[in-house]
Parts: sequence; structure tokens; C-alpha cells
Amino acid sequence: MMINPLYFFNSINNYVFIMLNNIGHIEYCNNAVGSFTGYDAAELIDQPFSILSTEEDKTRKRAEYDLSVAVKQGKLEAELWRQRKDGTKFWSCSSINPIYDDQHEHKGYAIIIQDITARKQNEIELIEREERYRLMVDGVKDYSIFMLDVKGFVITWSDGGKKIKGYNQGEILGKHFSVFYTREDLENKKPERELKIATETGKYEEEGWRVRKNGSVFWASIVITALHNDHNEFIGFSKVIRDLSERKKEEEELKQSEERYRLLVEQVRDYGIFMLDEKGRISSWNEGARNIKGYNAEDVIGKNFSIFYTEEDKLINKPANELKIAAKVGKYEEEGWRVKKDGTVFWANVVITSVFNSEGILIGFSKVTRDLTEKKEAENKLRESSERYRFLAEKLKETNTSLAAVNKELEQFTSIVSHDLQEPLRTIKSFLVLLDRGLDTKDIDVVLLKTYIQKAISASNRMKELILNLLQYAQLSKEDIAVEDIDVSELMGEVLQNLKSSIDTAKATISLDIDQRKIKGDRVQLIQLIQNLVSNSLKFTNNKKPEISLTTKYENGAVLFSVTDNGIGIEKDMQRQVFEIFRRADNVKEYPGTGIGLSICKKIIERHEGKIWVDSELGKGTTFYFILNHQGFQ
Amino acid sequence: MKNIKIILVENDEDEQFFMKEAFEKNDVFTILAFACNGNELMTILNENDDHLPDLILSDLNMPGKNGYDILKELKADQKFAHIPIIITSTSSLKPVIDNCMKLGAAKFIQKPDTFVEYDDYVKRLALLEFESLN
Repeated sequence: MMINPLYFFNSINNYVFIMLNNIGHIEYCNNAVGSFTGYDAAELIDQPFSILSTEEDKTRKRAEYDLSVAVKQGKLEAELWRQRKDGTKFWSCSSINPIYDDQHEHKGYAIIIQDITARKQNEIELIEREERYRLMVDGVKDYSIFMLDVKGFVITWSDGGKKIKGYNQGEILGKHFSVFYTREDLENKKPERELKIATETGKYEEEGWRVRKNGSVFWASIVITALHNDHNEFIGFSKVIRDLSERKKEEEELKQSEERYRLLVEQVRDYGIFMLDEKGRISSWNEGARNIKGYNAEDVIGKNFSIFYTEEDKLINKPANELKIAAKVGKYEEEGWRVKKDGTVFWANVVITSVFNSEGILIGFSKVTRDLTEKKEAENKLRESSERYRFLAEKLKETNTSLAAVNKELEQFTSIVSHDLQEPLRTIKSFLVLLDRGLDTKDIDVVLLKTYIQKAISASNRMKELILNLLQYAQLSKEDIAVEDIDVSELMGEVLQNLKSSIDTAKATISLDIDQRKIKGDRVQLIQLIQNLVSNSLKFTNNKKPEISLTTKYENGAVLFSVTDNGIGIEKDMQRQVFEIFRRADNVKEYPGTGIGLSICKKIIERHEGKIWVDSELGKGTTFYFILNHQGFQ
Repeated sequence: MKNIKIILVENDEDEQFFMKEAFEKNDVFTILAFACNGNELMTILNENDDHLPDLILSDLNMPGKNGYDILKELKADQKFAHIPIIITSTSSLKPVIDNCMKLGAAKFIQKPDTFVEYDDYVKRLALLEFESLN
């Protein structure tokens, strides 16, 4: 018995069978239509076929069009979107066949619809994936990425390939990849060999020269990979080429520049420039370092740089500390003594700089050493010479001072000659003129003329006295002083002995208070000094019995002398002037004298580099003080 | 003719004598006083400050206050600073003269060769003073 064909159709659930009448309305569909489209089979009866079209296709009358095409062509197969009852879509493969009766009259359509959504999605994904790869490969500008077939003919091309090799896609597709090789490589059958290696080992990699379309060569990095499909069938090669010309150039330049720096550093003679590793071991050496430190490169490479330090510096761990500082702050700089190979030291300027790699890790130090010994010596010399100049300047100042003193003395001397010596001379001449005139008169006044003569004699005596005093004074400046150790008591004894008769005549009382320490000085001059002072005390008394006290006192390395009397004293106004040569108070009539005594005292004190001054009250008495350096003087 | 009142400062008595003679012969000057040094001059001036001289003629080298002291003291004293002081000396050394002028001397005149020859000196001084007054 024959099965109803409707059961047959309904038993097939992975295909939809639809029958349309000749105007395209559904007359039959199997049950599978429910699971495909969401419509019950009954719902679809008498509906136009376009019910299963997407909204877009409905608008475009796609269903009607497809049917007409099927009629014209006898059949139509199409993959297209169909719309479900709920509006969702599925990807279908529709097969449309027109139905004819025996009289070849068109009766309708037999349609089979298959849901191919899953397959279609795979396809789309594949296409998208391939497209992505293509875009990626095209997007890579710095690499030429292309495929070769099993024989080495180019079957794909990329923008990168164009950029690197200069070929357009149209120019290169189908050409053999050996066009990229130099003639030399071709003669050596390098392309074939590379493919063979890639085939056998899966990959061929190298860097080498390749040729561009325009014939120029470039340094290329090449990877050829053998390609197999899912079934492990060998299908060709991928080839990735990178133009390394730039890198090669940079490398060359870097190499050259490194070489230049190396040569530069090696040949610098005045600076020791060398590298230390992070532990302070010497890793490079230059001519300057050899020159300064005396070591050859082979003597020092690998040794710790502490060999350049003095023992003291090594003991306090100075080399390591310097590295620590350099590592911490980037740099260590100082001037200090360093040791040469022969053990001698030199004054060095040292700069240690820490060296980091590109990852910022300390890999060592550079050390630049400069020998400043000469500079140091020059500095020292400069200092010495400036010291010397300062000394000379001081000497000059001293000389100037003493020259000024001599000048002053000379001025004083001319002033003395012009005044003090000329005055008595003028007096003498005046009286001689008067005498002459007197002798010319008729009645010669003998008594008067005698007076003139007396006065002239007196003036000439005064002049003689002045000259003698002046010579005595001048002698003091001229003679060297004879320094000896002097017992002060003895000195005083001698003074008093010399003045014994004057003291006795004046019935003077002398008291002594003497420090026993010895002094240094010129005995003769010091005796004259004290004698002059005591003589004055005996002289300027106003007929009082002189009481004279002599004291010496040791204080602060100097000896203070004093000669005190109870005499007439000195007016305040005159106290400063008593030491001036031939300067007298207006008591010259009562107390005659040239006024040289105190000038001589002052001169002696000056020659002993001491000091003399006076303290006096008119009518009460005078004290002369002077100070002598205990230890003497230059 | 204008009469110039003058004080003479000279320590040598013999010189004073001949100076006095010469000045008295000349009717330009009236000698107010003689001082033997600066000390005496100051006493005279201070005792007669209502009757000050028109001119002081002073020796340079004297015991006690000398010519330099007189210049310093008078030029520093408001009462006497206006009185012209002429310094006279045997010396004619330039440093000496310069020093006197620096200290405020009106003039420096060298003394005559001997003190018996003051007549011409006084005549010259009178002429100078007369000129400076006119």
C-alpha cells in the first residue's frame, strides 16, 4: 500500500516544502514550516509567498520577482533573508521550481526552503576574518607581507610590499619572487635554496641585500614560512620582509660614532678618562690616564680603582665612598692627592659620574681625572710671590717711613743751620759792624766797643756749642748701636758715678728702685740717655734741693724706666716740644743751654725702638718715662 | 699819614734795641709793645684786648713759644685771628716760609743781614703796609 505523500512531506522537518498556485499564493506547506517560520501551516494557506519575505524584500517585491525569474529560467536558487512571524529573520536557501501540468500549463510553484543561518554565519565570519587579515597586512607599512605559491610565484601583495619594494600589486602578482634578489644571489640559486630550507624546516630567516623595482638594493630582514592547510597539504609560503636600511644606517652611525668617541677618549692626553664597572673595577683606559697615572691599559684593566688612592684614603674607605656618593647623587667631584704608578702623588681634579643603562640600572661609572699639580704649584707660586710682594711692600713701607724720617731730619737739619747756626753768626757780624762804626767815630767809647767784642765772643761760643751739640746728635743717627745684655743696676751705678760731682754740688738725694732683670741695648747710649735726664733734674731746680728717684719696672716683656724730680716742671704747652732739637723754654736766661739734651734722649730711644714721654706739673716736678723692650729688638 | 700800631716780638735784646730805633725813626708805625716770645705776646694781648695792634711782627726762632706757636695760637683765637702777623727771620728757606704762610702768616720778611741795618727794612715794610692799606 502506498503512503500518502503528505505524510512524507510532514515527516521531513529540516526542509520546508511550499506549494504555490500560479498567482503565487500558498496552497500547501509541510509542518516544518511551523518550526522555521513560526506560522502554522494552516495560517499560511492562501497567503502570498511574500509573507515570508523581509520587510525590505516585500517593498522591493522580491518574492514576485524571484518567482518570475524561476519561470523564465526554469528554476531559481537563492540565498536570502526570510522573516518569521515574530519579525525575526533567518538566512535561507530557497529553491523555486515552476510546476507545469501535462499540457505544459503553468500551475504553480514548488519551493524548498532550507535554514542556512548557521552556515552563513560561519561564512560571514570567515570573510570578515580574512578581510581583517587583509586589512591588517595592508595596514602594515613597514613590512612587506605576501604569499607565494608552492613554486615561489607571488599570489598576494600588500601596501607594505609596495612601499618597500616599489611594485604595485598588478605588476608583481604572478611573478616569481626571485625578482627581489641580486644577480649574485640568483647565480648562487639562493631563492631556490631558501624555499627548500623553508619547506624542509618550516621556516627560513635571514638578513641580507634585496633589490627594489628600481634596481636599488636595501638591507632586509626576511622570514619565509611554509604554509599548510587544514589537511596539512603544503600550499605555499608566506614571506615577511622588513627594510632594515634605516636600522642598518643607524647601527653603522652608532658604531661609527662610538668608534669616534672611543678614539677621541683614547687619544685625549690631558684628561684621564676611563670607565669603572659598578664595583669600581677599571674597564677602559685612555692615553690621558696613562699619561697622568703612568699605568698602561693592561696594567689596570680589571683592577679596582682604589690603586690610585693614598694609603690613608684607602684606610678610610674613600674610594668606595666616592662611588657610593656618585651612585646616589649621580656625580662625585673633588680635588685631592692621587697616586701614580711610580708611587708619587699628584694633585687631581676628579669627577666620577654614574652610568645607567636604558633601563635605569647602574652599570658602572665614568671617571675623569685631571692633573692639577702644575696648577696647584702655580697657585702656590702665586701665593708665595704675593707673599713676597707683600713682604717687599712692607719693607718698602718701612724704608719709606725711615726715608721720611731721614727727610724730616734733613729738613730739621737745614732749618737748624739756617736758624740756630745763622743767628749767632749774624749776631757776631752785627757787633763787628757796630765795632767798625765805633772805631770810625772821633771819640772812641772803649767800654762800649769792649761790650761789642764781649757779645761777639759770647755769640761765637754759643755757635761753637751748637755745632758740637749738632755733631753729637748727628753722630747718634750715623753710628750702629752695639747691643749687649745690660745689668740695669750697673747701668744706674755708672750714670751716678759720672754725675757724682754735680750730685754732690747740688746736694741731691737720689733714690733707686730697680728691677734686677737684664735688658738689651747699647750701653753707652743708654748711659747718655739716663745721664741727660738726671742732669736736667739737677739743673732745673729753682734752687730747691733736688730729690731724684730712678725706677725700673718690668711689665709685659718691656722695661719701664722713670726719672722723677721735684724741679720747676714743664708747662703743659711745652711738654710736647721739649724733645725738639734746640727747642728751649723761655727760661733760657735762668737755665742756659742749647736745648739738645732731650733731643738726644729721644733719638737714643728711637734707635732702641722704645718710647719716651714726659709727665710734669709746673712748679712741682717732672717725670720722664721711657720703655725699652726687654728682649731687645731687631 | 695813617699810623700803624704794631707789636714787635723778638727775643734778642740787642736786636730789639736796633729795631726800636729804626721803627721810631719811621712815622708810619707806633710800637705798642715789645714781647720777647709768644708767651709774653699772649699776656700783652690778653691784658690789652680793648687796644689791639694793627699788625704783629714776629721773629720765628725764640725760646718758649716761637713764631709758629704764635701763628697757631692767634689764628685759632677768634679775638686775635684778624690781626695780620708778619714773620721775620734770618732764614729764607722755602719750606720754612711755606710753613709760615700755611699757618696763616700775612707775610714773611727776611731779617736784614745785621741787626744794625733795620732802617731800610722798616721803610720797605712801611711801603708794603701802605700799599696793602690802599
